[in-house]
Amino acid sequence: MNCRSEVLEVTVEARQVEEAMLALLHTILLHRSTGKFHYKKEGTYSIGTVGTQDIDCDFIDFTFVRVSSEELDRVIRKAVSEFKDALGNTGSDGMGQISLEFYQKKKSRWPFSDECIPWEMWSIKVNVVNLANEQERQICREKVGEKLGEKVINVVEVINRHEYLPKMPTQSEVDNVFDTSLKDVQPYLYKITYQITDSLGTSVSTTMRRLIKDTLAL
Amino acid sequence: MAHIDTEYQRLEASYSDSPPGEENLLMHVAEGAKSQWHHIENLDLFFQRVYNLHQKNGFTCMLMGEIFELIQLLFVVGFTVFLANCVDYDVLFANKFVNHTDSSKVTLPDAFLPTDVCSARIRHNGFVIFVLIISGVFWLHRFVKFIYNVCCYWEIRSFYINALKMTMSELPYATWQEVQARIVEIQKEHQICIHKKELTELDIYHRILRFKNYMVAMVNKSLLPVRFRLPVLGECVFYTRGLKYNFELIFFWGPGSLFENEWSLKPEYKRGGNRLELADRLASRILWIGIANLLLCPVILLWQILNAFFSYTEVIKREPGSLGARCWSLYGRCYLRHFNELDHELMSRLSKGYKAASKYMNCFLSPVLTVVAKNVAFFAGSLLAVLIALTIYDEDVLAVEHVLSSITLLGVCITVCRSFIPDKHMVFCPEQLLRVILAHIHYMPDHWQGNAHRYETRDQFSQLFQYKAVFILEELLSPVVTPIILIFCLRRKSLEIIDFFRNFTVEVIGVGDTCSFAQMDIRQHGHPAWMSEGKTEASIYQQAEDGKTELSLMHFAITNPHWQPPLETTHFISQLKERVHREATGASADTHPLSLSESEPRSLVANLLAGPPTLGSVHFGRESLTNHAAAGMSDGASALRSLSPVSSSLHLRGSLSAVHRASGLTSRAMAGSGTDARTVSSGSSAWEGQLTSLVLSEYASTEMSIHALYMHELHKQQSRADLSRHTWHRQESDESSDSIPDEVRSEPNTHSRNFPRSHTFPTTAPSPSAIPTSASATSGTSSGQERVKPQSSTGQRRHSGPTTDHFSAGGNVTRSARVPMGGWAEDGQAAPKHHEPLLEESSEDEMPPHIHKVI
Repeated sequence: MNCRSEVLEVTVEARQVEEAMLALLHTILLHRSTGKFHYKKEGTYSIGTVGTQDIDCDFIDFTFVRVSSEELDRVIRKAVSEFKDALGNTGSDGMGQISLEFYQKKKSRWPFSDECIPWEMWSIKVNVVNLANEQERQICREKVGEKLGEKVINVVEVINRHEYLPKMPTQSEVDNVFDTSLKDVQPYLYKITYQITDSLGTSVSTTMRRLIKDTLAL
Repeated sequence: MAHIDTEYQRLEASYSDSPPGEENLLMHVAEGAKSQWHHIENLDLFFQRVYNLHQKNGFTCMLMGEIFELIQLLFVVGFTVFLANCVDYDVLFANKFVNHTDSSKVTLPDAFLPTDVCSARIRHNGFVIFVLIISGVFWLHRFVKFIYNVCCYWEIRSFYINALKMTMSELPYATWQEVQARIVEIQKEHQICIHKKELTELDIYHRILRFKNYMVAMVNKSLLPVRFRLPVLGECVFYTRGLKYNFELIFFWGPGSLFENEWSLKPEYKRGGNRLELADRLASRILWIGIANLLLCPVILLWQILNAFFSYTEVIKREPGSLGARCWSLYGRCYLRHFNELDHELMSRLSKGYKAASKYMNCFLSPVLTVVAKNVAFFAGSLLAVLIALTIYDEDVLAVEHVLSSITLLGVCITVCRSFIPDKHMVFCPEQLLRVILAHIHYMPDHWQGNAHRYETRDQFSQLFQYKAVFILEELLSPVVTPIILIFCLRRKSLEIIDFFRNFTVEVIGVGDTCSFAQMDIRQHGHPAWMSEGKTEASIYQQAEDGKTELSLMHFAITNPHWQPPLETTHFISQLKERVHREATGASADTHPLSLSESEPRSLVANLLAGPPTLGSVHFGRESLTNHAAAGMSDGASALRSLSPVSSSLHLRGSLSAVHRASGLTSRAMAGSGTDARTVSSGSSAWEGQLTSLVLSEYASTEMSIHALYMHELHKQQSRADLSRHTWHRQESDESSDSIPDEVRSEPNTHSRNFPRSHTFPTTAPSPSAIPTSASATSGTSSGQERVKPQSSTGQRRHSGPTTDHFSAGGNVTRSARVPMGGWAEDGQAAPKHHEPLLEESSEDEMPPHIHKVI
């Protein structure tokens, strides 16, 4: 695939899942969001401001920075809590993966629907552990905090590399690159998906789709 | 990317030029999607399409071709049904008389049945209905595919026009290298591939040829079951389009294949842990596909027959000789293909070798057949002459029953016979011809050299270069044979296949999973007997056979002069080029360290060039060896002196034309040709300005030919030195030649018998029982070595009881008997160092080293 992919792995306790995921997803999105664009004539635009906000975690010794947009936070929280529930349903020590995929829409001609072409993919692999006593939990609380700090630095390092980013769009094309549905912030188009356990079998629908595509492409 | 679009930069900019306190202080300019070509999702498909469109000469040509193909399909089916059901043959054969009121002549429409009768006949014939439904489904599939393709290629067309700035009309005259150079150029601007700032030629080749490289490697390592030993026919190769299609279906794109998508192998296949389980799964998949093939067999068979009938009957009628003509077999194309060689490169190479190859094959016409054919042709010819004379005298002769058909039949008969009668002016010189062929096809098993005049060599060559009739026959048989091969042969190899894909897949950033052989890394896959001595760290399992890695590397470097290989590889290439160059300039051959040949005091390159007097045209006039040598020296020297890396091709052109001319002088005054060549070559450099890239690429192939010949020659001399290694490695096949004693006697060349057999030309595949099921193979290399070893060990166990006895009989004795001791000692320095330890080890254990490891 013509797409960068980064994998982050974390090992956390069940109650820390939500906060850890939020921390990482928000960190990535912080760097992949801009202020709203206000287009002027001749293809120029100005960029609105974006505030940031420090969030302290309850179950982890950790503070992260996120875009201060309630709307964005709500969307992310929803996805993460779904993931957490799904993870909880599988049993105590679940494995799961949540991925944040940035994509671009490409308009196609009539017979095809618009293509969504990913250009960056962040996969966060989560390993949930069970801890026996309070002391271990306390150690875990600090350890996870440290680990998350490392991950955040990782993320920043990756983002700092001068690599491909979609070009700044003109007004008509802004929907193909940025998610303009939010009032106060404008992240690149993204998609959050999750997968419980390490099941390698792809879903039936994707297999079917590929089969059809393959037959056509012969 | 010239401009960096991160948030960071925008902030930075705001510091510099924004007066504080104003609203909308900072204006940005939207770049917009100037091009839609940045960041293409499926680059594999994209590059393949770009290549296809180039090969099909532009959009219009492709469109027309596809439309006609669809129409042809309809026509084939419709016409067949019509012929079978709607024609009253009694009328045509005049068995039944038609009563016409106006005239007594029978017209064609008279023979047609009325429509209602016709449709009734069709409706009551279940078989016809079945055929119609099947072909209808097939046609619809093709049609949908066609529509889809048109949409896709329309996009590629606009890519050519807008991004590459090439119009469709100039496309047929642009070389692929040009197109490629432009793609590399626009990557900087559009960023087609997001992983890298710059694309290399190799990346593009890797993407286009990802699966083909795997196939080439699998054929190279004899993994695919395409060679069989049949009871009556002996050893034969069966590789048809249907079989190839099935292989690709199983490995690459079919449901549940090894590949997840075009660019990546499924992760579980990259881990060695559950290889047995995966092999089981693969085996059962192969079984199912085999069964599906078996079930569909009647349909495919019917289709093949119809297709063959309509595409070939016309040709046979027009040119009956074409069945006697030959073509490169599908297996040959796979065997001869370099890694990273595009279709058109391979085809042009093989086409250049075609003439020489068919001449070579014609050398071996059976004398008995010739005598018979001559006489049959004589009698048939006299009958034909009489009939034609009679016809000329009076046309009515044609009206007599069967006269026209006998004239046609006699004509066919004579043409067939003629193909068995050799050309009167042809001279039997297979060795030279084989050299010329080698210059174009670049690969051949070691044991052919010096054995060109033998019938076995010819038989094996015919596996690569088969009769067209055989090709058609194989295609027709394919639907029946394919399921058998899948179920009984390929299934047993499933573990080996799993191991192959695990061991030989590397992930390249920006390309995805590719066959590691296609990286052309001498260190990983070099073969010590092919000049990568000391540079390679490959085990026997990892070495590509027949010097494929080295030759592919040279080929790729020569065809893509702008490609910048990794440092080590560059070193290898420049070293080799320099060696060839030095060989050409080095006048005194005796002092040269490379001239290892004991008897001939000639320079290596001169020697190899003397074989084929020219690379461009074949000339058989020279018989006298002395003249031959002198001419070869001067021609070769002048041709190669100009092989300086800078302007090699330019000068080569001049000197080659000189070579042409020189060879035209036949056997007189050869001494002058050398100077002649030099003057012409210097004169031609004035044309440099006119040379286009097309010319350059044309001469690249000549340069490659010289390198290929050089490498083969060097390999030959090197392998004389380290026979031992090969005789162990390929003992089984060596023995097959030993079992024919009279040939050895008739062979004047002392080395011929000892030549190591190529791995891709061994006898049939090893029996599956030899596959070790020990789960010790967790690491790649260790399991890899196991793969190869059983071949030799089973071979030996099959032939003789104790392996040790066999070894001393087969390997050691022949070597000491045949190779002069002096030569052996001399070659010691040139011989690979690690062979000596092998020798010692074997003498201690009395067992070839790798067999030792198995037990």
